[in-house]
Amino acid sequence: MRNLITWLSLAFFFLIHFTALSQTISGTIIDKNNSTIPGVSIYVEGTTIGTTSDIDGYYSLIIISGDVIGDSLTIVYSFVGFKPQQNRIANDPAANYTFDITLLEEIEMLEEFVVVGYGVQKKSDVTGAISSIKMNEINNLPITRIDQALQGKASGVQVSQTSGAPGEGIKVRIRGIGTINNNDPLYIVDGIPTKDIAGILSPEDIESMTVLKDAASAAIYGARAGNGVIIIKTKKGKQGKTSLSYNFYSGFQTHGALTPMTNTNEYIEIFNEAAAADGRDPIPDEIVPQLSDTDWMKEIFQTAIMQSHQLSLSGGDDKTTYLISGGYQQQDGIIHNSSYDRVNLRTSIATYLTDWLNLGVNITSSWSNRDIIGASGDGYGGNGGSVVRYAFFRTPPVPVYEPNGEFSDLPQFDGYSRAQLNTWFGDGYNPVGLAKKYDWSDKIFRTFGNLFADVQLMEGLNFRTDFGIDLSTGTEKRFNENWGTDGRINNPNSMYVNTELDFTYTWTNTLNYKKTFNEKHITSFLLGTEVIKNRNHGHIGNDRDFPDQSPNYRYLGNGLALNKSVSEFEDGWALLSVFSRVNYNYNNRFLVEAVIRTDGSSRFALGKRWGAFYSGSAGWNMHHEKFLKDVNWLSQMKLRASIGQTGNQEIRLYNYLSIIEDEYNYPIGGAMNIGYAVASFGNVNTTWETTTTYDLGLDLAFFDDRLSLITDYYWRYTTDMLIPVPLPPSGGSADPPFINAGEVLNRGLEVELFWQDTKKKLKYQIGGNIATLYNEVLSLSNGRPISAGRIDNGVYATLTEEGYSIGSFYLYEMEGIFQNELDIFTHAYQGPNIQPGDVKFKDQNGDNKINEKDKTHVGSPIPDLMYGLTMNFNRGAWDLSIFFQGVMGNEYYMQVNHDIEGFYRGFNVTKRYYDNRWTGEGTSDEYPRASWKATTNNKKPSTRFLEPASYFRLKNISLGYSFAFGENAGIKALRVYVSAQNLFTITNYPGLDPEMYDSDNLKTEKRSNPDLAAGIDWGTYPMPRIYTFGINIDL
Amino acid sequence: MKRKYNILFLLIILIALFPGCEKFLDEELKGERSDVQFFQTATDAELALTGIYNCLTFADADNRIWVFGDVASDDAAKGGNPGDQADIDRIDNFNIAADNGNLETVWAIYYEGVSRANKLLDNMDGIEMDGERKSQIIGEAKFLRAYYYFWLTNIFGDIPVHLTTPTPEEMQKAKSLRVDVFNNAIIPDLQDAATRLPASQSLSQAGRPSSFSATAFLAKSYLLMEDWANAENAANQVIQQGGYMLVNIYNMNFQLATKDNLESIFTVQHLAGQDPWLGNRLNQWFASRAENGYGFNVPTQSFVDEFEKTAEEVYDPRLDYTVGRSGQPWFNDTVMFDPSWSPTGYMQKKYLQPLDEVPRTLKADGELNFIFLRYADVLLIMAEAQNEQGKTGDAVGYLNMIRKRARECYLYDENLPGYGTIPEGLLPDVEDQGQSYVRNAIRHERRVELGFEFQRFFDVIRYGENYANNAFNDKENFDYNTNKFFPIPQKEIDTNFEL
Repeated sequence: MRNLITWLSLAFFFLIHFTALSQTISGTIIDKNNSTIPGVSIYVEGTTIGTTSDIDGYYSLIIISGDVIGDSLTIVYSFVGFKPQQNRIANDPAANYTFDITLLEEIEMLEEFVVVGYGVQKKSDVTGAISSIKMNEINNLPITRIDQALQGKASGVQVSQTSGAPGEGIKVRIRGIGTINNNDPLYIVDGIPTKDIAGILSPEDIESMTVLKDAASAAIYGARAGNGVIIIKTKKGKQGKTSLSYNFYSGFQTHGALTPMTNTNEYIEIFNEAAAADGRDPIPDEIVPQLSDTDWMKEIFQTAIMQSHQLSLSGGDDKTTYLISGGYQQQDGIIHNSSYDRVNLRTSIATYLTDWLNLGVNITSSWSNRDIIGASGDGYGGNGGSVVRYAFFRTPPVPVYEPNGEFSDLPQFDGYSRAQLNTWFGDGYNPVGLAKKYDWSDKIFRTFGNLFADVQLMEGLNFRTDFGIDLSTGTEKRFNENWGTDGRINNPNSMYVNTELDFTYTWTNTLNYKKTFNEKHITSFLLGTEVIKNRNHGHIGNDRDFPDQSPNYRYLGNGLALNKSVSEFEDGWALLSVFSRVNYNYNNRFLVEAVIRTDGSSRFALGKRWGAFYSGSAGWNMHHEKFLKDVNWLSQMKLRASIGQTGNQEIRLYNYLSIIEDEYNYPIGGAMNIGYAVASFGNVNTTWETTTTYDLGLDLAFFDDRLSLITDYYWRYTTDMLIPVPLPPSGGSADPPFINAGEVLNRGLEVELFWQDTKKKLKYQIGGNIATLYNEVLSLSNGRPISAGRIDNGVYATLTEEGYSIGSFYLYEMEGIFQNELDIFTHAYQGPNIQPGDVKFKDQNGDNKINEKDKTHVGSPIPDLMYGLTMNFNRGAWDLSIFFQGVMGNEYYMQVNHDIEGFYRGFNVTKRYYDNRWTGEGTSDEYPRASWKATTNNKKPSTRFLEPASYFRLKNISLGYSFAFGENAGIKALRVYVSAQNLFTITNYPGLDPEMYDSDNLKTEKRSNPDLAAGIDWGTYPMPRIYTFGINIDL
Repeated sequence: MKRKYNILFLLIILIALFPGCEKFLDEELKGERSDVQFFQTATDAELALTGIYNCLTFADADNRIWVFGDVASDDAAKGGNPGDQADIDRIDNFNIAADNGNLETVWAIYYEGVSRANKLLDNMDGIEMDGERKSQIIGEAKFLRAYYYFWLTNIFGDIPVHLTTPTPEEMQKAKSLRVDVFNNAIIPDLQDAATRLPASQSLSQAGRPSSFSATAFLAKSYLLMEDWANAENAANQVIQQGGYMLVNIYNMNFQLATKDNLESIFTVQHLAGQDPWLGNRLNQWFASRAENGYGFNVPTQSFVDEFEKTAEEVYDPRLDYTVGRSGQPWFNDTVMFDPSWSPTGYMQKKYLQPLDEVPRTLKADGELNFIFLRYADVLLIMAEAQNEQGKTGDAVGYLNMIRKRARECYLYDENLPGYGTIPEGLLPDVEDQGQSYVRNAIRHERRVELGFEFQRFFDVIRYGENYANNAFNDKENFDYNTNKFFPIPQKEIDTNFEL
């Protein structure tokens, strides 16, 4: 590596040295709307000397002394769809000119540009499947993460939030779930790749986002592009007067619809009904006067504040542009004691050091803090108990506070033993106390950015080098306070601190050559290399038995435990790539593109590291053909087709090695002995997973682009899928290695439709997108299925198997409720003690008994259909935007209903169960009788707990007013707005939020990929309903 | 035009230097070792050996051999709240599907123990260390491997056997017949372990098997195989040379202060206050909800009725050592047992510690051992092996040693009412009234002596169909031929196509 750097520096030196005597003509090219135009060809008439304008519309044409003969020369600015312009100047090497050019459109047609891999393309030149989102579409959304902005805006892109907790992670899935390992897309921020964009940018920093959906467009990012690529272009300074803008919003958040639960009287009634059925002691009437009637669901929520301030200063002259911005964002959670805060600062400077050398830097630093509460899952694996779950469980007779002002824990009423009270009113935690006692924070400081140099080597030939860093250091800290009756909760108190430093650098070099022959043959060629290296280093400390639990004493070392533990870890990975792309455009009619990329990954053993990926795509702009020239109502008709491959290597590091770990201890003679064992098996034969996508697309536009339609149909095959193939447990329980064994198909239709009318007083735009998705595992390690999604000890809800979707629910099918003895007698045998009122399961294999062979695939958490609808209206100073979003055809498994409808301990039950339960023949065919004993049958993992998860949600509605100002008012623009998010949701889903994706359990559950166990609802932190007021000021 | 050469130059650099950067992709494993780097030194061998022991522990709540040994039998009911741990309930009443969670967890834990033993045994050759200790380590590893296979084959019957670390392909493995599991794995391992292990282990090594632990385990294995001559032979060696004895008070086996006594032959050890947890979770699983337990594995009336009593209604003292029942004091003298704690009105006591030893809030961090083998068991094995070979007269002698110790608790245990004299007619010696009579007496004695030591189910199955059908007559689903072994878990069936 060092050699390479030395050589490159030398090369730079020579390049700088040899470009002295020349004439430079530079400037910016804009259209009549003051938008910059990239890609304009600028050339000296009658010569081959020329260049093109860059993404910011800037161009710089260098004429080397002696290359042009004559006293004067003519510079031509030409661009498809615009009238060419000419400028005649003197041929004088000493004279440098700056010409800012305004090109006028040939017809009333505004060409759009989209960012593609390592460059920009006119939208009409694009041959791959791309969705682009301009940030003005998502302005004013009170979101803390920029990937949230993609929701419902791009067809085929599914965005879901793990839960509604502030600062919570986002899952973005582009064109389905291609693999059972990592399905996260790759983000490219100003050229620098990252898999995690949490906290890097605030939404106001972004100019556009482009989603590269098919392999042909993503292939250029081969190594990690198998799940699609999202290219983010940040806002840059613009030439001209300094401008200052300030964006502010503030609002409050509330919870949406809550699951109705029984109150004290209803609870006692149903408890006593079950007690009578099971022959247990009922709750005596005499205790009733002592009881409270607490609505625990309501108690855990609060009305929470959120606010955001963003200040940005930008400007520049003809050589240098700059932008600096800073922001502060703060969001309290709607559940007590959860919040997210972030401060971010950004600098972006670019300068033409000479007319052929453009240098720049983009640096973002952010600091964020997340106060976390356990709010989903069941605390399995040490995540701590879940507040939401206990809010479901806690019975209404118990008050929030004891008379002494402390949080109540185990129920305490006079005259009854603890065992009795626990049985009657439950021994679950007090969710309010639990929430407020949480002391769990995650602080992250992140610096992300790049330095670049863009060298114009000769006309049409550019060399660009980009060096990017992604540094993140974080401290996660958690103190488990000891509290509760007799100090039963978190005994002894304990503490955990994890400090981690993660550093990735990326160095990318590209050579870009563009050449037009005979004005008809437009070609470009790209050659590039990329190196990426990551290092992660951290340490974890644990301490216990803190004699003083006051917050100022919650630091490692203060515990009394003798065996405090520390551990340290370090690991890393590297990627090395060479890639190339060729584009050919015949007269804007036929477009062809080919990409090849070779990647090496450190995650594979020597000899298995390299993978090569190819792709090709073609487009036909039919509206430029003669036979369509005269069709006036048709403004665009383009056919696209592509085939492409991308790679995936996102597997466990050091997969090729069997790893020995400690902590398998055992006491001998009363003393603890440390034990080691193989924790994961290795495999040296593992190599790249390949995703091949076939895409057919048709783009249509009508009536001068007032109506446009983009459609794509794709088939996406993942082959050599990297799977930790479950090994027989008889071979040991160590984690299996990832091997290449499996094939998955995703296919679907994507449609984006757009209608606008901007010529009348009332201007409006309506955009809709819709995508279907079909997901199927075609083969899986010789037919060995993978069960996942633990819902009970050793019990799993999903089975990923050939012929079904990834993470498909595999359950017993509930057929109804046994109404009478005859019904039981005539049905397949379900086991002893079945009584009328119990759940009847379907005998799938007809062997007249119900056992595990009767489980079947009954649904999938993957939606069949996703859609979004955006409407913008503008009249005079008023603007209104409305955004709906939804999914259809998926199911979620409500694990939490095991306990609140299934009878477990003394836990509360849902109102719907109370109202509809079976109490005698003919009373219900859906909800079984109340009984704990009957749960052995009734709580079997069945479709009883599977719920439709389709929803249609008003994600955002906002109304704004822009004030008008005179030229010298000192203020350019002022807009105020009010908006509301998640105002209403139409869904049959009975849980708190159909948008949930997975639970905290998966964070600690070994070997569980979120996509293998998505849609299991343990009780989740719901999305807030947000009402905001905001101001945008431009000075 | 010289620039063009520079470009060319640059291209050559970029491309030509590239393959040389393969080293860039080398990432070394740090802070951990791979199996290639491990297994070098004596320390590594000891660390890996402890790793094998680790699978014994009841610090892991998923180690549920008690569900099979006790709950499935006529001794115990599931207990706990109705509806809690429904899969245990399904085992209790023999409504057992292959996806029952208890099957998978036990299967996984015990095979993991086998896997760790195989890995160490595979690598012992290459480890340079003191020869004597090296041989002992091999002996301990083999003993433990036999232990894991013993439970697996008793619970599941015919099972796959690996005696070396399998490759992923070799993990596709057909079942061995149960008799072959004994003959090819358990017996040879124990025989070899007996030659390698020391004759006794000091208290500081409590938890490690001795040579006689291996021989006693051999006797127990032969018993399960009904190889009476070998069982007698092995048991006899232990009795003659092992140096074990019955402790004066039965209950001393199940108390913290007197654990690891001379009656213990092989025990699973626990230690409180460790991270990761090494305490005995059974202390919580089996305790009543009133004491922050879960209340599982509770004695049935049938078990309680098995205990003998005198004409004056004085019970075999082992009843109250084993079972909490109405009208009897509970651990803490101030508390009487409350039958409402258990759906059967009884709770078992062998794994429970009083609250002054383990506070309510640390309930799962118990320190009692699980006694896999104790001398009383060896005596009963001896008695049974002899009786089955027609040496009934000799057998009665061993049987009566057990009964004598039981009744003589009255001479040693100050807490027994009437301490000092053996109540009249309590647990009289069994007389030789023929093989069949003595057989029944031994079976009765095993049930009360070894109750709640996770053995009853396997004994019942061993006694044959008639006995089993009679013992389990209230389990309407029980079918001897289907249920004498439990189904191989679904997860194994899904992943091992050779089954």
